[in-house]
Amino acid sequence: MSNEVDEILKRIQSYKGVVGTIVVTSEGIPIKTTLDNTTTVQYAGLVSHLADKARSVIRDLDPTNDLTFLRIKSKKHEIMVAPDKDFKIITVQFQPND
Amino acid sequence: MDKLRRALSGDDNYDEDSSTGIFSNLDSSMTLNWGTRIKAFACCFVVGVLLSLLGSVALFLHRGIAMFALFYTTGNIVSIASSCFLMGPFKQMKKMFASTRVIATIMVIVLFVLTIISGAVVPVLKSRVSTRQFRLSKDAAEDGTSHDLHQWLKRKQSIWQNDNANPFLDKDQLEEVCQNLVANNPQLPDSLVEFSFRDKSFKPKVFLNQHISLLEVESTCVYIESPEADKNQIAEETIPAPVGSELIAEKHFSSSCEETENDSVRDGEDEETTDDVDDDESKDTKDEKDEVARQTPGGKTKKLMNQFNFCERASITYQYLLKNARTQTKPPTRSQFSDYATQWIIYDSYQEDYESQEREKEKGKKDRSSAIVKKDEFKKSSLTDRQDILGINVVKKALILERMINQNMFDEILQDFRYYEDPSDEFRNTEGTLLPLWKFQFHDIKKLCVTEIKWNPIYFDLFGVSFGTFNFQKQSTKGCFCLWSLKNPSYPEYINHTSSGVMSLDFHPSRPYLMAIGLIDGRVAVYDTRLNSKSPLYESSYVSNKHSGIVWQVQWGEDLTDGELIFYSVSSDGKVFCWALMQNHLTQTLVISLFLSSNVQTEIHEKTKSLKDSGTCIALHPVDQSLFLIGTEEGFIYKCSTAYLSMYLFTYTAHQMPVHRLDFNKYSPNIFASCSADWSIKVWEDNRKEPLFVFDATSSVGDVRWAPYSSSVLAAVTLDCKAYVFDLNVDKYRPICIQTISSKKLNKLTKVAFNLKLPVLVIGDDKGISFVLKLSPNLRIRPKIPKKQQGVDPRELEIVKLEKLLSLIREPNEITKSSIGKSSDSSSF
Repeated sequence: MSNEVDEILKRIQSYKGVVGTIVVTSEGIPIKTTLDNTTTVQYAGLVSHLADKARSVIRDLDPTNDLTFLRIKSKKHEIMVAPDKDFKIITVQFQPND
Repeated sequence: MDKLRRALSGDDNYDEDSSTGIFSNLDSSMTLNWGTRIKAFACCFVVGVLLSLLGSVALFLHRGIAMFALFYTTGNIVSIASSCFLMGPFKQMKKMFASTRVIATIMVIVLFVLTIISGAVVPVLKSRVSTRQFRLSKDAAEDGTSHDLHQWLKRKQSIWQNDNANPFLDKDQLEEVCQNLVANNPQLPDSLVEFSFRDKSFKPKVFLNQHISLLEVESTCVYIESPEADKNQIAEETIPAPVGSELIAEKHFSSSCEETENDSVRDGEDEETTDDVDDDESKDTKDEKDEVARQTPGGKTKKLMNQFNFCERASITYQYLLKNARTQTKPPTRSQFSDYATQWIIYDSYQEDYESQEREKEKGKKDRSSAIVKKDEFKKSSLTDRQDILGINVVKKALILERMINQNMFDEILQDFRYYEDPSDEFRNTEGTLLPLWKFQFHDIKKLCVTEIKWNPIYFDLFGVSFGTFNFQKQSTKGCFCLWSLKNPSYPEYINHTSSGVMSLDFHPSRPYLMAIGLIDGRVAVYDTRLNSKSPLYESSYVSNKHSGIVWQVQWGEDLTDGELIFYSVSSDGKVFCWALMQNHLTQTLVISLFLSSNVQTEIHEKTKSLKDSGTCIALHPVDQSLFLIGTEEGFIYKCSTAYLSMYLFTYTAHQMPVHRLDFNKYSPNIFASCSADWSIKVWEDNRKEPLFVFDATSSVGDVRWAPYSSSVLAAVTLDCKAYVFDLNVDKYRPICIQTISSKKLNKLTKVAFNLKLPVLVIGDDKGISFVLKLSPNLRIRPKIPKKQQGVDPRELEIVKLEKLLSLIREPNEITKSSIGKSSDSSSF
């Protein structure tokens, strides 16, 4: 199973415009990353907080609902977060237009 | 001076001669001169005054009254006597007892006497009397006499005085007498014997009773409800009982106490006898003297109880030693816990609880005996399950992420796919275009050729592609099939490699996860894409139950009545098998063994009776599942039924080259299309020897398919990299779209498939690439719904449209033929 995950992550990394991928635990601790250390720590801390908050918002509005995906478009990048109960996958991609 | 002398001497009648005569007589009789007399008078007077003053002072001292009486009287007598010095004692007496003063003088003398008696004599007498009375009372106490209150008070005073005097302390009484109490009776004879007649001898007699009473004290306590207490209660009516006391403290009555009060008066002789009373008795009398006798209102004397007379008895009981035991325990560990709860956290915890309850219920249902055995295994498996689930979740999320990245990457194409409608179609009249969208390509399968494309019947954006080869000189040992999703053009959703080329593939119509594939080596297999393992669910064996040629096509049939799934396969060995999915294996049933029809036999091989024909494609009748069409390498199309295995229902002499595809129209089951390597595409009607339409292409036609959205549209692909789209309703003679798919023109297009919902089609080529193209609006014209028939099903309209079209062609059979000939001429480029 982990092979499969590795394979997918490798594939994701190979796609056009992908800057990096981080897998973080539910506590926001990065377990796997393709970025350098400082960026990883920054992204892991900040984005996982944001994702938690977003999930909390969705769950508060309707407890039966849940967050499945979060994407943030910025001028330079697009940050995509796939949240789960035990982990989150964060990917940063360059905006294809730029 | 004379005057003074006269006044002092008391001579009132100074002028009288007689008196002077007396005075002078007296003077003459006096031996003292005047000066001495004055001095003596002063001294006596002062002494008298001092004595009376002293008496007054002595009044406040001990025994003051007697002293006062003595001193005061003496003082007054001395001061009266002092005047004797002035006038002489004789004269003084005379004057005092004169008739005018005699009463006063007697009064003074009497009062003097009385004063002395009352002050000095009476107290002495009194003390003597009280002493006597005390002795009397002592006698009375001995005899148990009770006295009245007055006497009791008097005696109390007298005792106080006598105590100081210690009248009874004799030497005999001070002696201490020791008496020892022992447990044995000393008076008991210890050597008493008794003659026993039985033993004829004396035997010591044993006294068991050692009990003698030395001292007997009756209890002072009486039970409150007993008759004795009632008696006492009556006696004590005047004195209220102390509150809360259950027992009445009561005077101990000894028999000696009961006496009358007349004993209170006794003689002095009796008093003397009391001195011999022993110690115990004297103590008793001390108690008894507190006895109170009162006169009842009725005048009858009544014995009253002494509240203070009680016996005190003390005993020492075993004292239990008090022990203090202490231990110190560790303080319970404390921890601080804080959390916040939101609506969804509460919801989640409830949900968890509910699930665990459900699980427990299920556990309870399970057999317990088996549960014990499998406990350990279960634990292990649950652990691995958890990891697996986590892994699966990670994979799922990663796949979603991948799709999102692809969405970003192919954003423009996606926009075109959804929203772009070629605006130039309006000016092109009837012709349309195909807009290329994605290229589905996978590096592993570059050398392989697309042999079959099928859209998934349920998931409309998912299509399966099988990869094999059509170049039979260079057989590769590799083959694969994969599932692509339009959402992820970069990588297939599912990929599975096989040991030989996959030539055919089909999705089960109602179970989208089941795929049947046919291989070059003649085997068939069924895969379940839900499983993680890449091994097939069912597989025909390598040796016995398999085709002996390439499996050109597989197609799922309708499920059998007992629920088994079946699929048909057609192979180049000329056999059509029906495969049923049993519990563990595939069962193979021969449906038909193809043979060349007789006329051909006679034409080509006169000597041989029958020749095998090899099937290339199969099409199950969409309505009647017992009917099917088979295309062969010889170019024939056979209409067969599963009911008659020995003969064909109908034979179409369709093509000169192998038939590549047979496809029933989606709206009318009587119409089908065929394509062949002889560069032609033909549309047939059931049981009609001649084709309805014939279209010629510029190369071998790999595939032809009817569109799902229209009854008159069909698409075909050729080996020279061209795609044709026909709309029979628009143009009966030529395609409305011919488009070169790849710019290189090297790619040979092999297969085509319409999406079931979206206006896109997939075209596969021999390099393993699948092109997705969007049909322009002109290629998907639908019949306009007439205003009068608003509620009509569009399907009905399609059928009506097709019928109309067919009627045009059918009616003049001869004309149609010629027209087809013409059309075929015209459509040959």
